[in-house]
Amino acid sequence: MEGYESHIYLGEVNGGTMFKKKYVTVITLLLVAAFALAGCGGGGGEKKDAAQDAASDVIKIGVYEPLTGTNAAGGEMTVEGIKLANQLFPEVLGKKVELVIVDNKSEKQEAANAVERLVSKDKVNVIIGSYGSSLSMAGGPIAKDAGIPVIGCSPTNPAVTLGNDYYFRVCFIDPFQGTVMANYAFDKLGAKKAAIIQDVQQDYSVGLNNYFEKSFKKLAGEDAIVAKVNYNTGDKDFSSQLTAIKDKKPDVIFAPGNFTESGILVEKARELGITCPILGGDTWESEEFLNRVKNTKDVYFSTHFDSTQPVTEMSKKFKEEYEKAYAGKQVNAFGALGFDSYILALDAMKKANSADPKAIRDALAGTKDFEGATGLITLDTNGDATKTAIIKKVADGNFVYEGKVDPK
Amino acid sequence: MDSRQNIKRLLTLGLILLSCLVLFFAQGFLSSFNIRILNLAAIFVILGASMNLVLGFTGMFSLGHAGFMCVGAYVSAILTMSPASKELIYYMEPIIPPLANVHWPVFPAIVMAGVVAAFFGFLIGFPALRLRDDYLAIATLGFGEIIRIIVTNTITITNGSLGLKDIPSIKSLWIYWGFAIATIWILKQLINSSWGYAFKAIRDNEIAAEAMGIDVFKHKLLSFTVGAFFAGLAGALMGHLITSVDPTMFRFLFTFQILLIIVLGGLGSLTGSVIAGVVVTVSMEFLRFVEQPINLFGLIIPGIPGMRMVIFSLLLLMVILFYRQGLMGTREFNWDWILDKLGVARRKERGVA
Repeated sequence: MEGYESHIYLGEVNGGTMFKKKYVTVITLLLVAAFALAGCGGGGGEKKDAAQDAASDVIKIGVYEPLTGTNAAGGEMTVEGIKLANQLFPEVLGKKVELVIVDNKSEKQEAANAVERLVSKDKVNVIIGSYGSSLSMAGGPIAKDAGIPVIGCSPTNPAVTLGNDYYFRVCFIDPFQGTVMANYAFDKLGAKKAAIIQDVQQDYSVGLNNYFEKSFKKLAGEDAIVAKVNYNTGDKDFSSQLTAIKDKKPDVIFAPGNFTESGILVEKARELGITCPILGGDTWESEEFLNRVKNTKDVYFSTHFDSTQPVTEMSKKFKEEYEKAYAGKQVNAFGALGFDSYILALDAMKKANSADPKAIRDALAGTKDFEGATGLITLDTNGDATKTAIIKKVADGNFVYEGKVDPK
Repeated sequence: MDSRQNIKRLLTLGLILLSCLVLFFAQGFLSSFNIRILNLAAIFVILGASMNLVLGFTGMFSLGHAGFMCVGAYVSAILTMSPASKELIYYMEPIIPPLANVHWPVFPAIVMAGVVAAFFGFLIGFPALRLRDDYLAIATLGFGEIIRIIVTNTITITNGSLGLKDIPSIKSLWIYWGFAIATIWILKQLINSSWGYAFKAIRDNEIAAEAMGIDVFKHKLLSFTVGAFFAGLAGALMGHLITSVDPTMFRFLFTFQILLIIVLGGLGSLTGSVIAGVVVTVSMEFLRFVEQPINLFGLIIPGIPGMRMVIFSLLLLMVILFYRQGLMGTREFNWDWILDKLGVARRKERGVA
């Protein structure tokens, strides 16, 4: 149609299109050539790598984390911790450890691709990842089929390790966090009535709330939860939810969620004159959240790690080295969890005295009282860590250590 | 002319045999990683082709594709998961009884996923297709998001934001590419039928088409529903490829990924969608090397995450600036073109005959 018209009326434009067509053909050819060349190069390199592996004996640890997309901030912090651990402990069993870091774009299909790539192309011995439970769930079955063990840094959804013998994690899970906060609210804060605010779109928020509700009801009676309201990720106005809660006069509000929404929510709650303590989970430990809630008090949350209260020798070491390596950045829990995943992987190889994935898996399954930066880690039959939770509060414009809760 | 017809038939048959052979060898010799990428490419081919039917052939700017995928993925997942794993995964609130014991084989479940998605497409299309252009885009975008929010909130059916896992895994290239080829064939038949001509007429000028006696609304609704059917199919396949689904997978950004494919391939060309679908998916994985640290003659460039996406943005920018029709424009793959290119010999042959 277009060609027809230009033929009749627009001779010159036709010439122009011809030129452009040639131009595009050239670009396309260039791109194809570039791909082909790079492809050959890549292929050749692979073979060389494989040859090198056999000769120089490198142990590969694959890392899949979200380095771009919505979860990029968390992924980046984790990778920093892993890289730091790699610098401090670059060798195991007399072999060099090589990190293969791949981005999963905060997307499930990319996470699946990334793990498939790590197990079948890079042939890694063990995998670390990923920030975000749904990303970990996408990668899990592939690693299981390939028989490669995975150590999760911070996926807290119980379903990640459920029915997957090859998935372990160094963080505690949602049920534990929810239960810890319920106990804390009842025992330490003396709360008898609690209100729940949840982000229905976040499995994390829904999971924590579910277990908080169960435990709190057990402690304070069936009608101890006076209100349960929902919001969605991305919401900016929480006044209707908070007004509804205010009328019920709870002793405590449990509102785990993303740091962005939670920050606005806490700020608004104080603005509306809600003075009761507000409790949350580990995602709150971030600069963005702190900036919002700096001037308030009675904000508590559970987390994995605190730099002022080193639980183990490794925590001290991690803190010192982290501050040296990443000057100007806050020592954070996600970095610590990444760090722990790496040293746990190395420890398992030492115990197994082998880099064979199956042997590593068996060694990991038997992990007991392993000394990590985030505390003593024991892995249960599901592969989940039972460990000490740290409770922090906001005071004087900063996060302050409040106490710790040991697993029962 | 007859001999040319025969040549074309032979060529088509040859191509089919060749693709079967390629699939056979790919299945046997490629690593599981490469097979996964090819399977994902097949899914994007289905998505690209079906969205092209709606946007490229019928001219409806609909952005609800991710929503229909979401429906398809969940329908197939719930139908095929074993009752035992359902009990395990719905640990917050149990799944409602009629669905708890459903355990379908994979194939009918995928088709069912398409049918349910088509039904949703019909429901949504009925009110929304009275709108045009940008308004339709906004409305369908909204509907896509509504589907996702409903899925998030109906915890007793979909397990809400916790998502589903342990969906039966499909690894075979045959199934994904089988569905992709069937999709292309059905869409090609549809586009070359009188319905298809009506679609194109509506795309080129809606008022003129109506004046020619085409029932615009009926045709639009058909195109939209068929598009939703294949989106549901692709969503179901995606679920079986990854073996877990959750609502955040199907944010509207996903629709833009499909849009990228059809714009690069050419609005109104199935061939373009197929080529772009494969090229984009494969190079997305392949281009990972640009994010690795590169050693360029002693100059070490540290790996920057996200470089892949920059390359795609540049590519899209160039296409929009210099080559608006995309790779194929509205042209399709066709033997005549290839025979002509092959040149004089064929023509002479014909001349002699």
